[in-house]
Amino acid sequence: MKIRSESIAIRNVSKTFHSTTAVDDVSFDVSPGEVFGLLGPNGAGKTTLIRLIMDIIRPDSGTVQILGHQFREEDRNRIGYLPEERGIYTRLKVLPTLMYFAMLKGVPTKKANENARNWLARFEMSGLENRRIQELSKGNQQKIQIIASLVADPDILILDEPFSGLDPLNARLLRDIIRDLASQGKTVLLSTHQMTLVETFCQRLLMVDGGRVMLYGTLDEIKRPYSNNAVLVKSDADYGQCDLIDHYVPDAKATKVYLREGIAGNDFLTWLLGRAIHIELFERAEMSLEDIFIKSLGAICE
Amino acid sequence: MNKTLVIARHEFLTTILRKGYLLTVVGMPLLCAGLGVASFLTRSMIEQRMAGPDAVGLIDRAHFVALTLGDGINQNTESAYSGLVGLGKEKTYRFVPYQDLGAALEDLRRERLAACYLIDEDYLTTGKVSTYTLEGGLSSLLSSPGRSQLYNLIRASLLKERVASDIFDRIVNPGHLSEVSVTEAGQVNEERNKFQRVARFLGPLSMFILLNISIFLSSGYLLQGISEEKQNRVIEVLLSSVRSGQLLTGKIIGLGAAGLLQVLVYVIFLFVPTMAVFRVIELSLANVAVSLLYFILGYVLFAALMAGTSVLGSSPRENGQLSGIWSLISMIPLSLIGPLSQNPNSTLAHILSYIPITAPVTMLLRISLLSKVPYLDVLISVVTLIAGIYFAVKGATRVFRAASLMHGKRPTLTEIFHWLREA
Repeated sequence: MKIRSESIAIRNVSKTFHSTTAVDDVSFDVSPGEVFGLLGPNGAGKTTLIRLIMDIIRPDSGTVQILGHQFREEDRNRIGYLPEERGIYTRLKVLPTLMYFAMLKGVPTKKANENARNWLARFEMSGLENRRIQELSKGNQQKIQIIASLVADPDILILDEPFSGLDPLNARLLRDIIRDLASQGKTVLLSTHQMTLVETFCQRLLMVDGGRVMLYGTLDEIKRPYSNNAVLVKSDADYGQCDLIDHYVPDAKATKVYLREGIAGNDFLTWLLGRAIHIELFERAEMSLEDIFIKSLGAICE
Repeated sequence: MNKTLVIARHEFLTTILRKGYLLTVVGMPLLCAGLGVASFLTRSMIEQRMAGPDAVGLIDRAHFVALTLGDGINQNTESAYSGLVGLGKEKTYRFVPYQDLGAALEDLRRERLAACYLIDEDYLTTGKVSTYTLEGGLSSLLSSPGRSQLYNLIRASLLKERVASDIFDRIVNPGHLSEVSVTEAGQVNEERNKFQRVARFLGPLSMFILLNISIFLSSGYLLQGISEEKQNRVIEVLLSSVRSGQLLTGKIIGLGAAGLLQVLVYVIFLFVPTMAVFRVIELSLANVAVSLLYFILGYVLFAALMAGTSVLGSSPRENGQLSGIWSLISMIPLSLIGPLSQNPNSTLAHILSYIPITAPVTMLLRISLLSKVPYLDVLISVVTLIAGIYFAVKGATRVFRAASLMHGKRPTLTEIFHWLREA
């Protein structure tokens, strides 16, 4: 049964380990060229979902489709994976280790060597090919692990907390590489706790908790229900004079103005413009993803 | 390249380049060669020191010893090992008669004599003989030089005139002993001395020890490797690229090849030179072939069992302790080495040969002790071993797949049984 030619298509998947339900009726899609965020607190079922996608474990029910078909053995070669708990052969040398990981994905020896050298150059690590990994700095060891997930040139890249342990320069380098890969049509599934990263990086996201889907959709779709019809304004206006406002909360950066029910942001903007005052900032006051995350979890707990 | 082979190649190369492996593989022949050289040098030194005088003094106050008899009675004093490389012949001493103890002791002090014996006047009633040797010499710590010769001489002197000459000859020289062994099939083997008979087992017995060491070293490497990969989480990356069965098979092949290489190095650098020097040591092709077969089957069985348990603990140390149970069970035949050696075809030997986990060690031991490979037992034990391997690999793969991804928690027995039952 072909669902859609999505890179990853999960349909009603459940997985139970003895009495614990790790994943409960989860469905989502990830498209080619998309950077998709997978969010959830610890123990929410993210790792189980990732393992289901990679066929390390099989679902009790539901279907997992990769690149438009049921998981095939050769699909392992098309998925690159960086687990949250980093692991690498620290006693081995850089180049043979990377070549080994590439060859495990079916890449021929010569190509594996070429890919490893190219990625080392891309991550500004040329010249370290024959160094033992344990001799490298922590940051460089981290980059070797990232390269290990990229070295086979996968179509789907699953990165679990890829930025942890990276300094700002290397984090920027990795961000550029991820964007570049997405622009080449690669699918990137980003599992992280860093909400700001998801907000700046991901087009869509899935938030799970207790194995169930809590939030799923584009950032806009997810944020809209949490906007509370509020705007952020920085101006000289006296908001107490405005009948359109329900209440407002002043802040050093901007004032958060909560509009009365039925009042659109445009109505309030028109009112401001009519005052002939200086307006520095006017934007919809969205709840941050972090707040939504916490609020959603709070709702579950209640 | 096939993924299993990629893993096998990786495991082989990383293992043979390990310091521990190199130390065991290269160090062992070097250690043996060193011990050989040290033993040779020590022996040479002892022989040099023992070279000394070839005469012993004799003061016969009982006046009965006939020194002329000495030449005919001390021709058969070769040690059991003299057939080996011509070394070890007991030294034959010349008896020099003295009347005066002082003169004899003066010659002893001047190292003209290796020892001096004083036979008391009332020897025939008391049997008293005093031995004089130089204090501090190495020879003083060993048996007195020429003592056995003296005893033979005393016996001969006492009997010479009292028994018929043919009886006298037989008493002095009871027989030229030759030993002929008969196989179970009734085949009479050529004459061998005791040492040659012992030496016949040395080759297969060394093979037995060597292969057992390799089995446990190789499966130990596997255990260590998997435990480390689980601990440092590489296992998760590996399982995203290959199936657990492929991973285990690749590891077993790669580390088994490293074990075989180890055996090969030992055979080339230890066995061949030893066999060239000590020509009486035998090792038949059939023996080698069957031993290697048990090495491979035994290794695969232990490797699978070790792999299955190597992921159950929460640390490499705990995994090692858990896996130790297989080593203990497999060593049962070694704890029964006494009864097994006494009768390698006993019911106990047969039972242990047919139980997969004890079969490799038992059969390797039996093959080393029996003159002929028991092919029927080989067939039965190989069949049970293969069946054992099948279930061990299958079970290990299931347990490995489930437990290798568990962290910080030890699975319960119920969980393990559940995994084993899973299709």
